[in-house]
Amino acid sequence: MNQINPIYLALLLVVLLFLSIFKLDSQRMSLVEEKQNFKSTQKLTNELVDLKDAYSNGVKIKKELQRILNNPSLRASKLVKDFKKSSVKINTQSMDIASINKLMGKVLNGSYNVTNLKIKRLSDTRVSLFMEIKW
Amino acid sequence: MTFNKKYKTLFLDIDSPAVEVEEKVNIVLSPSIYWVKKLTLLVKYTRDVKKLLPSIFEDTLPEGNYNYSAYKNPNVPNDDSEYFVFAYEDKKIIDLLAKKNISMANVASIHFAQSEMYNLEDTYELDEHKSIYVKDGIVVLVPSVWASHTKEMDLSELTLSKHKIVLQQFGHIVDNKSLFKIASVLIVLMFLVLGEYFITSQKTAEVAMLKDKLFSKNNLKSTMFQNKALLNKYKTMNKKQTKLRKYTAHILALKLQKDERLSLLVFKNKSLIANFSGVKKGNDAKIEKKIRTILSKNEKLKKSYSNEILHLEISL
Repeated sequence: MNQINPIYLALLLVVLLFLSIFKLDSQRMSLVEEKQNFKSTQKLTNELVDLKDAYSNGVKIKKELQRILNNPSLRASKLVKDFKKSSVKINTQSMDIASINKLMGKVLNGSYNVTNLKIKRLSDTRVSLFMEIKW
Repeated sequence: MTFNKKYKTLFLDIDSPAVEVEEKVNIVLSPSIYWVKKLTLLVKYTRDVKKLLPSIFEDTLPEGNYNYSAYKNPNVPNDDSEYFVFAYEDKKIIDLLAKKNISMANVASIHFAQSEMYNLEDTYELDEHKSIYVKDGIVVLVPSVWASHTKEMDLSELTLSKHKIVLQQFGHIVDNKSLFKIASVLIVLMFLVLGEYFITSQKTAEVAMLKDKLFSKNNLKSTMFQNKALLNKYKTMNKKQTKLRKYTAHILALKLQKDERLSLLVFKNKSLIANFSGVKKGNDAKIEKKIRTILSKNEKLKKSYSNEILHLEISL
């Protein structure tokens, strides 16, 4: 006929309640951490995707450069274009100032990874050009 | 009652001697330990009678923490609602058992003398001082000197009834109702907390899933370390390209003197080189100053000047 002291039962319930509150608290903290983690990952992803698209989207960059280089106003400059898998080399022995201004205006206003550039003045109206762009 | 028969039966009275008990025993409570009333109530079930007991005994009982019990009088037809109702103090009985060296662990069952001895026809002597007999259906304890012809009570001959009580060992600390209320509140709180816990874990899992989706949708590398390294690479590239555009635009926009010309512009290996020709002595510093205005502290500018040619090299 031995019975359990009800105070022990109440204490057990209180302990269980505290344990569950503790578990809930740690779970809430995990949720906050997970949310922060997700936000930072989202921020990183957005930045990475934007920069990747700007500098490493080979198809898009190639297409845009071909459109710029095939512009009729640059035809007289006799640009030599050497497209490779992940880069392009553009050079000419001589081109007029207006054409170089136009070409550089387009290139420098776009998001291209210019790794090599050499513009040398030949005379008051002409320059030579060598440029390498990578993606 | 065969079950109870296998245990020894002890009569428990305030003046009973202490006993050595090593195995389980059935206890029959002396009338001196409980309060009893015989009542006719217009109530069909015993469970309904039990609800009324605190008010029935209200005026009779001295101050104390009582528990109640009731059963129908077995000597009247079943349709009649005559009940024996009892009030007793659990703690007093427990203390008395302890005083008589009877551990609660050794108690098989506890009965009222009323339920076990109601059909005694004679007066029975319990000890030299006390005897027991039935008066008007109630088992009463009297001094032995009052009774003239008494018989010796043999408890082993007693067949115990089904009317027994379970002592609330801790009833004096907290009554069952309060305990139930406290426990209910605690359990409800626990369920609420656990419910919240499961909702929170589900939300955590959902956020983790969204993160995984973000990885697969954007073709990210498998670890954040790799992705951070990749982002740093692109950020450095972007910074360099932004600087190249900024300084080139500034160099091209410089207002030069009549014979001064930008003769060479080279960008290679983190360096931007600009050569100016036709720069008169003294003007080289002016051009250099104009360029220095847009440089930040950690960017270096190297300058050389000879034969009217100014050579400037900016480390990006």
